[in-house]
Amino acid sequence: MMIRIPKPHLSRRAFALTTLAGAGFLAMPRPLHAVGRARNVTALAFEGDALLVACETLLRSDDGGTSWAPESASGAGDILALATHPDRPGRVITGPARGGVAVSDDGGRSWERGRGGLPEEAVTAIAVAAAQPDMVYAAVRGDGLWQSEDAGRSWTFTMDRPWLADAERDPTALASVDLDTGMDGIWIYAGTEAGLTRVPDCFCRWQNVQPGNAMDALVSGGAPPSEAPLPAGEPIHALASAPSAPETLYAALPSGVWASRNAGVVWSRVADGSASAVAAHPTSPRHIVAALDGGLTQSRDGGATWSALAVI
Amino acid sequence: MKRRAIVFAGSAVAGLIAIAAIAQQQSGESDVDGVTFFGEPVTSDEIALGQDLYAANCASCHGVDLEGQPDWKRRLDSDRMPAPPHDETGHTWHHADRQLFIITKLGVGGVVPGYESDMPAFEGMLTDAEIRAVLAFIKSTWPDRQRAFQAEVTANDEGGS
Repeated sequence: MMIRIPKPHLSRRAFALTTLAGAGFLAMPRPLHAVGRARNVTALAFEGDALLVACETLLRSDDGGTSWAPESASGAGDILALATHPDRPGRVITGPARGGVAVSDDGGRSWERGRGGLPEEAVTAIAVAAAQPDMVYAAVRGDGLWQSEDAGRSWTFTMDRPWLADAERDPTALASVDLDTGMDGIWIYAGTEAGLTRVPDCFCRWQNVQPGNAMDALVSGGAPPSEAPLPAGEPIHALASAPSAPETLYAALPSGVWASRNAGVVWSRVADGSASAVAAHPTSPRHIVAALDGGLTQSRDGGATWSALAVI
Repeated sequence: MKRRAIVFAGSAVAGLIAIAAIAQQQSGESDVDGVTFFGEPVTSDEIALGQDLYAANCASCHGVDLEGQPDWKRRLDSDRMPAPPHDETGHTWHHADRQLFIITKLGVGGVVPGYESDMPAFEGMLTDAEIRAVLAFIKSTWPDRQRAFQAEVTANDEGGS
């Protein structure tokens, strides 16, 4: 079902005028300010070429943002987290605010909800392992990192929360990044209210993002490469790793959308404004969509230029 | 060479091999099948030494049976992480020999600068050979799959360094 503006009770003349005006209004491309202000966008994801928007419910656009359909079956209140994987078309995993996860294998038409061993607290971030599409990671508020090997049906506790700025921090964003840790595994990046961290997928320990892996840094002995971390003291609302270009990361912060081309060592701001979510297209890593200043906006050149999407 | 001489020489070589094998068994210096460190074979003597050193220096935290501290994935009240297991249920076997050696010698901060851990650096307490023996003992307890995985990680690490 598509979202439609309800018709008010009007006289025939007024109705005709209103309809004409409304038709003209609807035909105009609109920035998504109205949508964004009405809906608190908490997460974005591509499911193939379709775009998913998590807010009070889940919205889906299959036409590049021209029209949107609510996936009402996922209706479990606000959705805090959202994840997909290009090798599992149709699979969408959400983290409702009331806790647990909801899994759809048909693009959002039907949902399977449950905890599968997860604690009652809300899932604040979800990521699907880049190289293992049935492996899912979930951060549980006040608890830690959990993993599922069966696409979210059952879960086991994996790792305590990262320790940053003298406290444990809830991951508010997760991204599985298909780059070698030096331990025959890949990285899981986590954004928190106190910055960025990462852990190898053997889950030995959370550690700062640095060039290469920890052993490289130790052995090289030379001058460390230049680093430009994300701004200190800002929460990270979302992280996106483009599967086809894992060195490329995007982050949504209150100061804007930030991009890194070297796995999070050097960051630069590619969009000003308050960003609450960001997603990268699975096969076109320079195609990104962000929830920015209450609207949805997209870039097809890695953040160099942006344009507003159509109204939801 | 005449046939008699060939037979004699062959017998002599076989005898020497047998004597060497017996001597190695008696001294406990035989290589342990499938266990290497930095790609070199490890002897049963080293593993026995490592087992003793592990019991004296490591078992109090990592467990007599290498099982780690209880609930080792949850942070302690001290805000530090508990000692993880070194058996196949832990993540030790995900790390290359070089990392394991450095972590043991220099502490976790040796590979993750600034990381706070209850594990001490054993430099000054154990020699390099003793550290190698402890790690060889730990590796000798792993099932084949974990040992093979870790050998591959080590080979890749050495190839890339």
